[in-house]
Amino acid sequence: MTDDPSTTALTDVSGLAPMAHQAAAPVTNRGVNPVPGQSSRSKLVERSIGTVALVGTVATVWLGIWVTPPDMIQGDLVRLVYIHPGVAWVALYLAFGLAAVSSLLYLWPRTRSLFWDRLAAAAVEVGVVFNVCTLVSGSIWGKPTWGVWWAWDARLTLTAVLLVLFLGYLALRRIPAEPEVRARRSAFVALFAAIDIPLVHFSVNWWNTLHQGATVLNPGLKLKIHGSMALTLLLGFVALTLAFVWMLLVRYRIGVLEDWLTANELDLALVERQSEGGGPVDEGTAGIGAMDELSTDGVAVA
Amino acid sequence: MRYVIAGYVFVLFVLALYSVQLVWRRRRLAQAVNRAAGPGVVTSSTVPAGAVTSNSAGEVVA
Repeated sequence: MTDDPSTTALTDVSGLAPMAHQAAAPVTNRGVNPVPGQSSRSKLVERSIGTVALVGTVATVWLGIWVTPPDMIQGDLVRLVYIHPGVAWVALYLAFGLAAVSSLLYLWPRTRSLFWDRLAAAAVEVGVVFNVCTLVSGSIWGKPTWGVWWAWDARLTLTAVLLVLFLGYLALRRIPAEPEVRARRSAFVALFAAIDIPLVHFSVNWWNTLHQGATVLNPGLKLKIHGSMALTLLLGFVALTLAFVWMLLVRYRIGVLEDWLTANELDLALVERQSEGGGPVDEGTAGIGAMDELSTDGVAVA
Repeated sequence: MRYVIAGYVFVLFVLALYSVQLVWRRRRLAQAVNRAAGPGVVTSSTVPAGAVTSNSAGEVVA
């Protein structure tokens, strides 16, 4: 039976199974660990989230551009409020916030699992995309209102710093290392970068900035927008949040598959040699002693 | 209004492009995994309960 491994669930096994379990599994894939599979329920959930996110985004665009009224002061420019704070919410609070929490859970000995590391990596990558959207859409809004594409304003600058920090996080993950080593140092960097999140949030209250104060997440949680405008803003937040969840699920799945391929690289090469030679590979000719006793992270356990 | 359109187009284009790239990456990796695993692929979800299970670290154990 072949399950399509191209679908997603956060509850899926990591694929980093130790070699020791192979004897217990009824059949293995020609000597390598089981392919991380996926239930049809998870596929359905993922597709549903994706569909609702797409419909919600289309509805937000339609309401934001054609239905809601222009603002008394900003005129049509206010229509950017239905998309710019939404992408900022996803990038700063959801994605980078989730990355920080996941990193903390990885570093915490009682909850340490590569699941958290993979989740953090997925959240950061998606968050970086949303962060770029935040900065560019804000810049496009800034030009007609402030007269400049960019100002070294506290909020703008701190958001740009956040982007650079998490780009550094992604670069760090590309340095070859054992999964545990990579996870540990990535978690520390994510926690360090996350210090910037509250600074970005409170920058409009702590410093005199060009950027306006929060429309929704202000200190008194007083909604400064009403009627169809508030409804569209809320819909935009929900649609972009669901889009983030869908992207996170897909990106997490990519991490699972990448880790599986990396972890089984050696086993697959061995199996390939066996199939070419028509029999088991002699350890001496393979050039790698005690290969069968290697764990998935490449550490000899024999 | 052109600034509004530019803002929407940029955000939607980037998100759509990234979504397509994600799906493409996942499909390519899934194919690579299937190819590597060969015929008669056993997935973690097809292994009978009790034969293997996952521990708190998310690892498959006997």
